[in-house]
Amino acid sequence: MIGCYDFCGHYEWTFEWLNKLGGHELVKAYWDEAIHRDSQAHASKLIGEKGFEGMQEYWGPTLADEGAVYERTMTDDVFRIDMHECPSKGFLLRNGLDQYKDYCDHCVGWIGPLMKESGFVIDHEHNHCGQCWWEMRRKDDTTPASEAGALSGHHDVRLRPDWKSPHTDHYERATDPDDKTAFS
Amino acid sequence: MNEPSLTTGPLPYTDTKPVGHADFYMAVNATFRFILDRFGYEKLKDYWRDIGTTYYRPVSENWARGGLPAVADYWRAFFKAEPGAEVEVLELADEVRLEVKVCPVIRHLREHGREIVPCFCQHCFFVNEAMAAPAGLTARVQGGGGRCVQRFMKADASMAPQNLEDIATAS
Repeated sequence: MIGCYDFCGHYEWTFEWLNKLGGHELVKAYWDEAIHRDSQAHASKLIGEKGFEGMQEYWGPTLADEGAVYERTMTDDVFRIDMHECPSKGFLLRNGLDQYKDYCDHCVGWIGPLMKESGFVIDHEHNHCGQCWWEMRRKDDTTPASEAGALSGHHDVRLRPDWKSPHTDHYERATDPDDKTAFS
Repeated sequence: MNEPSLTTGPLPYTDTKPVGHADFYMAVNATFRFILDRFGYEKLKDYWRDIGTTYYRPVSENWARGGLPAVADYWRAFFKAEPGAEVEVLELADEVRLEVKVCPVIRHLREHGREIVPCFCQHCFFVNEAMAAPAGLTARVQGGGGRCVQRFMKADASMAPQNLEDIATAS
């Protein structure tokens, strides 16, 4: 049986299996069709109907159940997540699993199309070490991403001494995993 | 693909939490549906076989070293980490038998009103067999749809092959 305890391991393995079968476009289609529209249909419904409140509801119990160490910050105009210990990437790092070129892209891969359909855009960075941050705003709100510490105070993951990594991926007003705009 | 690393415990990959997150079962079901809808049943069987022979290779290697006792150890540890599983692992004279009284996947998908891929339960045979064969073992599955019996024994050319009609359609 394929179980859920080591899900992140065979999930990441599946990305590379699909990549070999049909390339990058097939992996993107998998994130959108299988994860966004099928597996996480409950998230789409919640966020589509309730907006920021739906995000607050979804990224509460779900991340807690997965064992994440994170903070949520919500105002009338933005929903922010500071992920300090990603349970998913952490599992891969601890077990030395590294089949696919960038596992972290799967989050924008399914959350991006979800946000697009619900009328939001995403500012996001991940450092490939289990830390990332997200800011979701309405698509007609042109406010840029916050400066470090401005929205979530000392919880801001960018203030961690270990935030910087050899390559941090950056997304600006994104809804697609190919929207990466900078590498640092 | 890279070679998975070897481990010494019954589970090849371990987490900091004792039990997995059941909502991931929805993604497993959705993954099967995606491959089935896009590429058909034969490719879905390839996926199951490939995951068994590559991702779970460390399990096969443990089974090759430890034989049927290692098979029993693996499944005890495995189901202990799957939320809602009710499974008895029996070590008989010449086989390990899993009596799955409550399949945690089928239960969770039903509780959440998810449409289950009809051939879902077949994955247990194809993945199990792909894990067992490199260790000189073979697997059989009977039942499904929430309850089944899974058996592991030494491979024997005279043994009848798995009859897929013995595996129930899931719903």
